[in-house]
Amino acid sequence: MARVTLEHVTKRYEDIVAVDDMNLEIEDGEFVCLVGPSGCGKSTTMETIAGLTKPTEGTVRIGDADVTTLPPKDRGVSMVFQNIALFPHMDVYDNISFGLRLRDYDKEEIDRRVDRAADIVQLEGMLDREPNELSGGQQQRVAIARAIVREPAVFLMDEPLANLDAKLRVHMRTELQRLHKQLDTTIIYVTHDQAEAMTMSDRIAVINDGRLQQIAPPLTCYNEPANLFVAGFIGSPSMNFVNGDLANDGLRTDHYDLEFDPAAFPLEGIDEVTAGIRPEDIYLERNTESVVDPSATIEATTDVLEPMGDEIFVYLSLDGSSAEMMTSDEASTASNQLLMSVDPDETIEADQQVSIVLDRSKVHLFDAASGEAITHGVADESVHEAPTADAEGGATEVESGGQRD
Amino acid sequence: MATANEPPTQSSDDENPGPLERWTVGVVNDPDKRSRLYRALFYVACGFFLVTTLFPFYWLLVLALTPNAAILSGDWEVTLPIVGTELPFPTPQGFNVSAFVEVFQQVPFHLYVFNSFVLATVTTVIVIVLASLAGYVFGRLEFPGRGLLMLAVLAISYFPPAAFLIPLFDAFLGNAVVVPFLGIELFAPPRLVNTPGSMIMPFSALFLPLAIFILTTFYSQIPDGLEDAARVEGTTRLGALFRVIMPLSAPGVATAAVLTFIAVYNEYFFSSIMALQNEPNQWSPLVGGILSYQTQYTTDFNLMAAASIVGVLPMLILVVVAQEKIVSGLTEGALKE
Repeated sequence: MARVTLEHVTKRYEDIVAVDDMNLEIEDGEFVCLVGPSGCGKSTTMETIAGLTKPTEGTVRIGDADVTTLPPKDRGVSMVFQNIALFPHMDVYDNISFGLRLRDYDKEEIDRRVDRAADIVQLEGMLDREPNELSGGQQQRVAIARAIVREPAVFLMDEPLANLDAKLRVHMRTELQRLHKQLDTTIIYVTHDQAEAMTMSDRIAVINDGRLQQIAPPLTCYNEPANLFVAGFIGSPSMNFVNGDLANDGLRTDHYDLEFDPAAFPLEGIDEVTAGIRPEDIYLERNTESVVDPSATIEATTDVLEPMGDEIFVYLSLDGSSAEMMTSDEASTASNQLLMSVDPDETIEADQQVSIVLDRSKVHLFDAASGEAITHGVADESVHEAPTADAEGGATEVESGGQRD
Repeated sequence: MATANEPPTQSSDDENPGPLERWTVGVVNDPDKRSRLYRALFYVACGFFLVTTLFPFYWLLVLALTPNAAILSGDWEVTLPIVGTELPFPTPQGFNVSAFVEVFQQVPFHLYVFNSFVLATVTTVIVIVLASLAGYVFGRLEFPGRGLLMLAVLAISYFPPAAFLIPLFDAFLGNAVVVPFLGIELFAPPRLVNTPGSMIMPFSALFLPLAIFILTTFYSQIPDGLEDAARVEGTTRLGALFRVIMPLSAPGVATAAVLTFIAVYNEYFFSSIMALQNEPNQWSPLVGGILSYQTQYTTDFNLMAAASIVGVLPMLILVVVAQEKIVSGLTEGALKE
């Protein structure tokens, strides 16, 4: 039970800066996911909290105590590792009780706590097994039991589900949420899987290149990304981006124009603007009844269809060229490509001419140079109340909109 | 070997291949013949090693059972007829089991064994502890100069022990340590000759490099996550080393320990000089004990042989026990992480 605060934490290695001036404030009992691509510094951030790595600069606080120089064992944290890291020379009971035995708890207390922890993670009857006799999911549960048995103030998880198969991962995801509800401990969870981050956490901290990009509730990150990186990273498949020039009546891009009143947004000093729109905010023209504020019609050719069952992803070509050899990420940033998702019942085929509209209230504008968000939704304010713009700095917390808890 | 059913695939210009050539072609082409050849080679190699390692033991046994007088005058011309030639094959000239008792009556041989055992045990403990610390640092930490330090350890381990002998002996006699050429007295060490300290210290130093290298390799292979887990769970780095890394490197630790133990147990060069007289109360080792059956005028070969066998026994037991540990450690290691 404690809040965790990182103040100006920087970790420099000889050749790289792994964590760059990180400021984080994690509330008591909160479930926060640190999410970002590989090598972005999220694991290093976690190691500085655990005490396995000393920050080059900055302070780490757990509760009210400055723990920057404390060794890991005195920080009141426990950790679950990506490679599970059970001690192979000890049985399950010894693994779980390792920390308690080191702290000289008496035998009865250890037994009581181990039994309870085993009960929570449903490991009854397996206490005398060796780790190598357990399945991956059971091993991970032992690791979690080992972490919770000491009743730590903060619970650190470094991609604990990364080595499990897909089905088990989804199952363990629910178990972890249940565990969080049950224990009500602060949990800091590192993952590169944005789906895990979206589903489990109270707040997501998106990290890239050692810098905090945004920390906000999942839906805020999704609906009001603070910058281009967050917009592209959160959401799968990712947002469509297109660069364009500002005109008096909106944005001109290579293949279509987007009408809005530029005066309504803080666009001074910004030459180039990147517009972003999520696949689900693009509609076929024939279905525009539900769209509050449709844009002008755009003509396109369907290229590849990806039926997912509950929706169909449609790759649209705006100039007739094909997106062959492009990954969905590349396609999302190419100006002549759009990725949209349509209802599975929709009759749509490859290489078909379609007319589409964008939901202008869901179009995001970013400063192409800095990547910062300018506005989320370019709808006419007289028609529809536009959400307030959150164009604060990348590391600031975006509090408006979205939902918490 | 079989030359009859050789496949007729040979080129036609080789009209009449010789027997060796036919056999070679057969071995190359026929997996059966090949495996037969491999098995034969395996038995030859095994037989060679068995004979070269076990015959000296047999020879010791023969000498121990033969009364000393018979050793000097006996008939050793016994031969074993083997395929046409005759190999010399000595057999005991008598059955004098009492030599194994006499060994302890003539000199306090058990005390010599005890000395060697204590020296070896203490040295092994010191070496394993220090080499563990060094192995941890070299194997698991990144720091500038690691390669250079490692190289220095390697270089020093190649110095001949004899190079250290005279200055060490001088210092262990209690003479003041003097800076060469300047004549400045640094300090006067305690007189350590005839004490275990004068032997354990140089032994530890001499056998450390090997142990460091063995343990460095083993410790570096333990996943970082396990050490991190131990540290988060409540150990210090040292605690993680002794509670997690060392138990998981059991085969390596056992190897280093056994090698050190055997080397010190057999050691005579340093200890014969550091123990001023060949007396058990001056910490003279096992080999000193064996040599004490030799006087100016007589040499009791049968007792020396019996003493050698007695001296080897503890070693034999240790290696058998440790071997089991090593093997079990190895198979366990293969199953886990």
